[in-house]
Amino acid sequence: MSTISFIKYYFSLGAAYVKYLFAFLLYKFEDFPNEVKVAALMTSICILILFFVQISLFWMSFMEKRKRKLRERIEKKWGKGMEYLVSQEASELLNEAQIADIFELDKEDPNKPLLKNNREKNMFVQVFYLYFISKRSEMSRTENTHTMLHMFGIPDYLEKEVSLGSMKHKVDALGKMRTFKLPISPWVINKLLNSKYLRVQRLAMYSNIMSSSDSALDYFETDFFDENCCIKDEIELGFSLQRRRKMGLKLPNLARWAHIQNNEKAQCMFVRLMRRFNEIEYCGQLKDLYNQTKKKKLIEEISRTWGYLHYVECEDLLIEALLTQPDDTKVAIMHAMTRLGTGRSIDALLDGFKNTTNPHVRYEALRCIYNYGPQGKALFNDLEQNASESDKKYFTFFHNPITLEKIRLDKEQAYHPSVETVFNG
Amino acid sequence: MWLTIYYIFCYLVFAYTLILLAGYMWLVLMSRLAQKQLDVNLPDDDTIKYLMQGSPLTPAVSIIAPAYNEEVTIIDSVNSIMQIDYPDYEIIIVNDASTDRTMELLINEYKLVEVPYDIAMRVQSKPIKRVLKSTDERYSKLIVVDKVHGGRKADGSNAGINVCSNKYFVCTDVDCIIEPMALYRMMWFVINSSKPMIGVGATMLMSNACIVENGKVVEAHVPNVPIPMFQQLEYLRSFLISKLGWSRINALPNISGGFGLFDTDVAVKSGGYDPMSMAEDVDMLLRMVTYMKNSGQDFNLALVPKVCCWTEGPGNLKQLVRQRTRWARGLFEIVSNHRKLFFNPHYGPIGALTLPYLFIFEFIAPLFEFSGFLFMIWLVFTGGVNWSAAFIIFGMIYFFSVFISFFVIFFDYKLKAVNWKHTKISYGKLLLATLLEPFIYHPLITYCSIVGYWRFIINTTAVWTPIQRKGVKKR
Repeated sequence: MSTISFIKYYFSLGAAYVKYLFAFLLYKFEDFPNEVKVAALMTSICILILFFVQISLFWMSFMEKRKRKLRERIEKKWGKGMEYLVSQEASELLNEAQIADIFELDKEDPNKPLLKNNREKNMFVQVFYLYFISKRSEMSRTENTHTMLHMFGIPDYLEKEVSLGSMKHKVDALGKMRTFKLPISPWVINKLLNSKYLRVQRLAMYSNIMSSSDSALDYFETDFFDENCCIKDEIELGFSLQRRRKMGLKLPNLARWAHIQNNEKAQCMFVRLMRRFNEIEYCGQLKDLYNQTKKKKLIEEISRTWGYLHYVECEDLLIEALLTQPDDTKVAIMHAMTRLGTGRSIDALLDGFKNTTNPHVRYEALRCIYNYGPQGKALFNDLEQNASESDKKYFTFFHNPITLEKIRLDKEQAYHPSVETVFNG
Repeated sequence: MWLTIYYIFCYLVFAYTLILLAGYMWLVLMSRLAQKQLDVNLPDDDTIKYLMQGSPLTPAVSIIAPAYNEEVTIIDSVNSIMQIDYPDYEIIIVNDASTDRTMELLINEYKLVEVPYDIAMRVQSKPIKRVLKSTDERYSKLIVVDKVHGGRKADGSNAGINVCSNKYFVCTDVDCIIEPMALYRMMWFVINSSKPMIGVGATMLMSNACIVENGKVVEAHVPNVPIPMFQQLEYLRSFLISKLGWSRINALPNISGGFGLFDTDVAVKSGGYDPMSMAEDVDMLLRMVTYMKNSGQDFNLALVPKVCCWTEGPGNLKQLVRQRTRWARGLFEIVSNHRKLFFNPHYGPIGALTLPYLFIFEFIAPLFEFSGFLFMIWLVFTGGVNWSAAFIIFGMIYFFSVFISFFVIFFDYKLKAVNWKHTKISYGKLLLATLLEPFIYHPLITYCSIVGYWRFIINTTAVWTPIQRKGVKKR
């Protein structure tokens, strides 16, 4: 009996039994009131579902055991080779023969494929992925990984999964390809860009941004992000841009993308990415955005970016903004001025300290003055000597060795600039 | 006339039972759908760590743990919290003026010294006496806050919120054992959310029979003692079916006070924890929802279906009755304080679905059960019971209860929510609890609920007595 006819037989047997059960129930409770019939029916359904749940539990347990065995087999056979390939020792370019030696492929039957079916390929990818993300050394070479994966037929398998698999398989395989930095065929990317799932579309875009050398990269020429923009998008985009830069490709104009988007989160994301990738070339393009926008977060991010990238041409704009912006935006502007450190904005910082009653802003202004080089230190000492009783509390932070260590300019944080813990006035 | 009342009552109870069962079925279905969604959206721990670890975008978190007279466990607990694997976090231990050596032990162990502070009391709490930090670089994440005695955990948590400087905070109990990957798992939902994520709940289980090594649970077991065993099943059911089901429609009614992540700004704007509340965790979440909805902002709530925290639950009947009576009072308080949210679609699925469900099936259920029980006794004595019909209906309820609990095991296995040391033995114990629960544990909980409601009505002063900890097994 073949498997299918075996399943068919038992399925029909089960269906007949269910039919019999309900017929029996109807007969048995014929004279009972309706509520008893309902209760009996529900009980039977519960028992039936329980039975199926139990079967699926056993099935899942059986499948997991098989999976575990397969994993153990792959790890035992090729685990050492995988570990070697991602380690510091594999820093030289290896050819196929050398990799075959490492993986001891001469022991395998040459007439059979190394990995028999998709199940084995999937497990191989999972095992290697774990080595790759947990043990990979910066010294190891991506080319070696690619050669090894080609020898095992993994890129073809992953590409098939990406183009033909379910949503889960698509996302999973695409993620693996991005992690291994495998190139993805343009036709697959084009297909995915038209996917009905937003998540798949975006992953395809990020993959293309990562590897495309000739594309105009015009994805964000429309207000693509709308309301759906999260930190994960920024992480993925950052990863793609980093890879692009490593490959020696030019980065797209992020300032232009920031201009086009309407969503504040997306705009901030592109401005932050400019900062992360030192894209000083397009800093000037942010001036218009800075003058036009009323979005507080965006103003903060642009100020911070200018500060980090030492874009001194914006200093007048920052000084002006310090007078007009609300308290919560002022902190980012003051930090930007301090990073520029041209000596022109020290008076503005002093005004920032004096012209507000918000203790948090006052403390931050003082912190910026303290960090503003020798000129700032002199002003700081002067302020300390003439400080009123109520202001003295700010200065105590600069004398304590523990809090003093933390008094530095805000660190690179995505959405929340870090402020010294014990001061959040 | 009496006969009419009798029939109305019988049909009312029967209809109520059927609707209740339908509600449970719906939650099972929602939970399954949530799992399917998580299959795609929640990768394994290694991938989460790989993506978040090296990123400068990973948001920082503050862990707040109030402590009162915890000299026996405080050092182990703080060491356990320090085992957390996350790139950017601070630990805030709030000492609520302990009368034992808690503070002294902390100072000596972590070489703490006073540092200058100026803290805006953004949410209501008793005044802070001093803030201490360690001179040892290894403990630079640790901040100890010494405050005037407030007497409630909520007061300590509020002091912690006042001190914390990060966008997100996690509130926990100092004696909880946190899984090292817990923060990564929770923050994964935050970084994947396009709307503001105001709260993330995490699955919590009982640590009563677990074995702990260096502040980490290394062997997870289901307790052998009946009371904790029933609770383990109850916790699993609550997290993997009820809360996970509600999280599918963004209507999570509760983020456990034992381990929950919140958006600091939203928590502050909605007033933080209420020190007078008996259910301060539900209360704060509902106020956060109210604040977001009233200010026209959309938000997300999520639940991590993998165990993130272990807590020691009541080990005997007396402690259980005390705890559950307090919870019942808390539920009554929530129903009475937040009544404007109930059946109100303005507050989204929480107002339109979750809270009505909570009211009809959690709040009223004990009353129905209790009155049904009294009615049954009366019928037995008057000879009015149709025994064969009664057995059929009892059978339905019993099998349905078993059916729901069975799904818990199924979901646990599918989600790998808990990494049991001996899966078969653990499931065997849970099955045993499943079969016995409707006869032993459920009537007990119903009794506690009735007592709790009664105490709320007659306005007995609530006394917060902490559970006497036996401590976990250490290797």
